[in-house]
Amino acid sequence: MLAPQAANVKGIGRNSCAAKRFCTDNASARAASEGLEDETMKATIERATILRCLSHVQSVVERRNTIPILSNVLIEASESGTLKVMATDLDLQVVENMSAASVEVPGAVTVSAHLLFDIARKLPDGSQVSLEAAEGRMAIKAGRSRFSLPTLPRDDFPVIAEGDLPTSFELPAKTLAEIIDRTRFAISTEETRYYLNGIFLHVTDDDQPVLKAAATDGHRLARFTLDRPEGAAGMPDVIVPRKAVAELRKLIEESLDGNVQIDLSASKIRFTLGGEGGVVLTSKLIDGTFPDYSRVIPTGNDKLLKLDPRSFYEAVDRVATIATEKTRAVKMGLDRDRVTLSVTSPDNGTAAEELAAEYGAENLEIGFNANYLKDILSQMDSDAVELHLADAGAPTLIRKNDKAPALYVLMPMRV
Amino acid sequence: MDDFDPSDDDAHNGTETSFNDVEASDTEAGTTRKIIHIDMDAFFASVEQRDHPELRGKPVAVGGSSGRGVVAAASYEARRFGVRSAMPSVTAKRLCPDLVFCKSRFDVYREVSQQIREIFRHHTDLVEPLSLDEAYLDVTEDRHGLGSATRIAQAIRRSIREETRLTASAGVSYNKFLAKLASDQNKPDGICVIKPGEGAAFVQSLPIRRFHGIGPKGEEKMTRLGIETGADLAARDMAFLRANFGSFAEYLYRAARGIDDRPVRSNRIRKSVGGERTFSEDISAAPRLRETLDNIVDIVWARIEHNKARGRTVTLKLKYNDFRISSHAKTLNRAVAGKEEFAQIGHELLGEMLPLPLPIRLMGLTLSKLEGVPKKKPRSEAAQLTLF
Repeated sequence: MLAPQAANVKGIGRNSCAAKRFCTDNASARAASEGLEDETMKATIERATILRCLSHVQSVVERRNTIPILSNVLIEASESGTLKVMATDLDLQVVENMSAASVEVPGAVTVSAHLLFDIARKLPDGSQVSLEAAEGRMAIKAGRSRFSLPTLPRDDFPVIAEGDLPTSFELPAKTLAEIIDRTRFAISTEETRYYLNGIFLHVTDDDQPVLKAAATDGHRLARFTLDRPEGAAGMPDVIVPRKAVAELRKLIEESLDGNVQIDLSASKIRFTLGGEGGVVLTSKLIDGTFPDYSRVIPTGNDKLLKLDPRSFYEAVDRVATIATEKTRAVKMGLDRDRVTLSVTSPDNGTAAEELAAEYGAENLEIGFNANYLKDILSQMDSDAVELHLADAGAPTLIRKNDKAPALYVLMPMRV
Repeated sequence: MDDFDPSDDDAHNGTETSFNDVEASDTEAGTTRKIIHIDMDAFFASVEQRDHPELRGKPVAVGGSSGRGVVAAASYEARRFGVRSAMPSVTAKRLCPDLVFCKSRFDVYREVSQQIREIFRHHTDLVEPLSLDEAYLDVTEDRHGLGSATRIAQAIRRSIREETRLTASAGVSYNKFLAKLASDQNKPDGICVIKPGEGAAFVQSLPIRRFHGIGPKGEEKMTRLGIETGADLAARDMAFLRANFGSFAEYLYRAARGIDDRPVRSNRIRKSVGGERTFSEDISAAPRLRETLDNIVDIVWARIEHNKARGRTVTLKLKYNDFRISSHAKTLNRAVAGKEEFAQIGHELLGEMLPLPLPIRLMGLTLSKLEGVPKKKPRSEAAQLTLF
């Protein structure tokens, strides 16, 4: 099952540097099979460089693995003086290139990701780290420290076969970060509905061509809309898994200024950050059908409540102190230009708070999960938030205003 | 040195209770899971044959023999005559005139069921019982380092045979759907392993009737559509399945490919956190006992912290070398404050039991009467309305 897949990797893509790297992969895999019996490699690298790189890839590696090689990172030193580091959990892989101080013997080997990371972390700042693999071990030397770790052959290291990734587009890293930030909190963690365990990306032609990102756990929905990037037309609907989203977000944080190249097919997605010499994250996509979420976005909610999201958040947070369970509802009583928040707990007593608001529709009483409300309100960076309500049992639409790219739908709790 | 994970035969005697863990699943890790489906062979009937030696080798049915009675379970001898569970007793008697009817004794079955669940939990906390005699186990984390799910399954079958004098069949695979098919493959008293990569082929070789959820009616429909085997089913596309089977289509599509992502769900509410240790040599000297207790306190308290458990009752259990069990407990009117108090109560309880009448082979310490057992959760969940 874990036969070396490197040979399956096809580097496709007109101007993708990542694709070129995978081609290199192919070549070295061939080289390995053409007679390199023992895997040797020798390179020297700055401690800071390898540490930064390992900190990017090591979190992909699961702490507990039933397949030993999945605990390892692949390190490949090439003649050109670069070191490639790669980690995978079979669904997600991250590859990063860095410049070595020197490459004495080009080659590739795999070694425990967490051990190497921990070692790199503890080595003195500013030291030069020498990595030398031979005879099933890798020697790591820096200053007066030396370690010897067992290795596993690079050919056993599973590489995700990307196949053809026909859709290619770019997004500013900041935009991609915002897409993730505005939606990821609503991703479901319930594994029986695996198709909700990620962010759904799809393009539509509503009034104009757009790309939409949506996440839901069945209780709330978050959607972010942006102009369709050039190249995204006709892309398949995809669901990017939660772990890939989390890893990607961490990587973006370190290169917020550039663009992110996105290449995808119906089954795989690849994010390239920082251009040549950057980081490439490739993930399998969730094989499932995301529900037609547009039908739960209310369009006829006629009761409009407007208020300041920050004071609303704080008030919800205060009254929720009384709630004993995380899921306990906050009740909202809506009168003319006034909201009364209240929580009643059989064990802890009661709490109430009044808030000034803009509200002109008929009186209404409705309950929400306090944490869900807070999750959404904390997304608001404006002075006003709009809640479009229908009744105590119907989905409520929440957004900054009708121009805002982000939209949220929250289902009430029965109180 | 004693080992907290005894790897000798003791490991199979259920002497080390499992630590109840919050529900967890490794599916998101994306690694291949290891799932075992255990199914007791003709469970109720086998219990009756075990307890009534005169019934062994005879066709036995559990259930009422009177006019309106129904067969709850049939022994393999009875099955040879076509007797099946849920069959009216009258029909069963006609098929097999020598059929012996036994009254069902559910309390006994329940007791045996508890015994086998203890055996399961010795190997994993991820146990999802389907009924008294059937359960899914996720053994991806090989707790005792037995090396493979197949070995774990064999260890479980052996323990069941030794402890209950009953036989079980096991299916071992990488998801629930396949594990269940596998346990049925070599029944009774058999095991079948479907390895990663073999699932689709296995499923496709099966007659359609073996698929869970396809009964006689479903089979009829399938036959009408020209589908007789898993391979026939796999050859149909999603659109065809949707058109003919509606919401059942997705299941069929995945099933025909041996795909099943459902996690093993252990919905057991944790009532206690604890641990036991079986020694390689019996011990009796007080200093040795105290030292051992301290070790157990360390391990159990780590578990308690890990589970964020708070409880009021501390129980110390000793098993003497004649296998008799004795336990002392102390309950506070509030939760045990910390590790120190936990240890102190443990030593108090040990003090009460000294001097020991016999050397002991096992010591265990448990915290129970836990706070915050989520008894209200279902209600508050129900109050949350859903979008989908």
